[in-house]
Amino acid sequence: MNAFLAITNVTIRQTLRPKRAIGLGLLSVSAALTYLLTALGSSASTASVEYNQQQAFDIFLGITVGTFMNIVVPVVTLIIATSVLGDERRDNTMSFLVLRPISRFTIGGAKVAAAFMESFALTGVGAAALGIVAAIRIDTFDYFVPLLVGTAVATAAYSAIFVPLGYLLKRATLIGLTYVFIWENGIGGVVPAVAGLSPWRIGVSAMAGMAPDRFLVELPQFAIGSLTAGAGGAIVKATVLIIVAAAAVAAILQRRDLAT
Amino acid sequence: MTSSPALVADPTVEVAAVSKWFGQKVAVSDVTCSFGQGLTGLLGPNGAGKTTLLRMLTGLTLPSQGKVLVKGQQPRANVERYKEIGFVPEESALYNTLTGRDYITYAARLSGVTNPGQAASQALEEVGLTADADRAVGGFSKGMRQRTKVAAALVHDPEILILDEPLNGTDPVQRAHLISLFRALTERGNTIIVSSHVLQEVERMTDRVIAIVDGKLAAAGDIAAIRRAMSDIPYRVVIECDKTRQLGAALLSHTGVDSVTIDDRGLHIETSDLAGLGSIIAGLAIEHDVRLSRFAPEDESLESVFRYLVGRR
Repeated sequence: MNAFLAITNVTIRQTLRPKRAIGLGLLSVSAALTYLLTALGSSASTASVEYNQQQAFDIFLGITVGTFMNIVVPVVTLIIATSVLGDERRDNTMSFLVLRPISRFTIGGAKVAAAFMESFALTGVGAAALGIVAAIRIDTFDYFVPLLVGTAVATAAYSAIFVPLGYLLKRATLIGLTYVFIWENGIGGVVPAVAGLSPWRIGVSAMAGMAPDRFLVELPQFAIGSLTAGAGGAIVKATVLIIVAAAAVAAILQRRDLAT
Repeated sequence: MTSSPALVADPTVEVAAVSKWFGQKVAVSDVTCSFGQGLTGLLGPNGAGKTTLLRMLTGLTLPSQGKVLVKGQQPRANVERYKEIGFVPEESALYNTLTGRDYITYAARLSGVTNPGQAASQALEEVGLTADADRAVGGFSKGMRQRTKVAAALVHDPEILILDEPLNGTDPVQRAHLISLFRALTERGNTIIVSSHVLQEVERMTDRVIAIVDGKLAAAGDIAAIRRAMSDIPYRVVIECDKTRQLGAALLSHTGVDSVTIDDRGLHIETSDLAGLGSIIAGLAIEHDVRLSRFAPEDESLESVFRYLVGRR
């Protein structure tokens, strides 16, 4: 446990550099800021209160699903998660880490945990900001906690995928972006089976399971694919992905040459 | 008893017919050797395969063929073995945002040391970095970075130390300090394997060397024995005396003396029979009324031996 916490702590200190934290933090709250700006644009509207409320909800749904969950969360997590092991390789610190009497699974688990904590510190702020703006615009805090839980689930699932990728590939960020935009959002948008394995959709399914029914009813089909709404199932999926990722990292560290 | 000078009687680290290739390039070829208590210098020119061999000893790199055993086990198969191994890699291997103290404490924590803070302070003291311990390692000079890596390798008090160019970038005072530290560890019974291209420093640390040239084991054992085994290369001996010409002429008539040259320093003899030369020189000096002031081999130094080994390939 001591080694697990030590690796997590040092990894976060190494990879969450101030400039990166500010840049990714701004990206994370960009969805909430965009939503806020749309409110300024519609404040002069003379339409009925019901119409404005519906419009505000539609924008919330669009920004949550179309911007925050499927662009902001994966991109922020991608940049951080690929660096937690990728930086060790780039900085030649792998020997320091692996030539220690610690199980490879502990190293893998600690790295995925660090990636999740660090990423969620940023995506969580973005989710909270979006939840607060939503509460102001659609007059309910009912989406605040579901949004945080959905973001946590998606961030955890992306961390699980991108941590091993960051070690295995030198151009992990580019490959990761291709995965997010071409595979998940392109092919996943039309093939339900692919959509079912998409981390951001798993996050949306968690959110849909906790949010008022209206959210699921009005959710576009591409945003949930073949998944069933429910936080429990989504959390289990994310947990399984994390365990598989830690095991994958352990296997990589056990079988590959670690000097390069 | 062991028959090959590359093998030791009670090995802690064993290398059995190990080869490593990267694609078409053979980095290490069929090397068999072992290391026990004491310090062994691993020598070889750049690109000879020293670093690859050291990485295989730690388990960082896997052999393509053959086996490396540390106390009877392959390190990767049992990570607990890493409690007994300390490694100083050639490359930087530092977390630049951490302070020296945090870095060493982190190493101690990962190694399962009971009191990491205290162990870190002690290791920093041993390498003479206490005064700078609370500065970020990113701002350290090269010598300080080397010493930080040495402290990280020592912090869990391992029995086996594998050091890849540990003296690189250190100034003469730091070198002397590290060498005396390695000697002290050797006296405590540790197994220390040091690769270095600074031959004089290796010579100061140990007599036992293993030389790798082009990925192959070129020689092993103590430096004088390696030199003696090079029967195809004549010995060079310098003789200082008052009548160089007379003695030089007398020596040339003896079989076993291949050549004689004279310069300001005296007579330089090349001989394939050093012992024979030693036995006749006193008699010749008396016979020709020559006063000898020095008779010494010129090429029994590690540098000479190493030059021969590399030149042979």
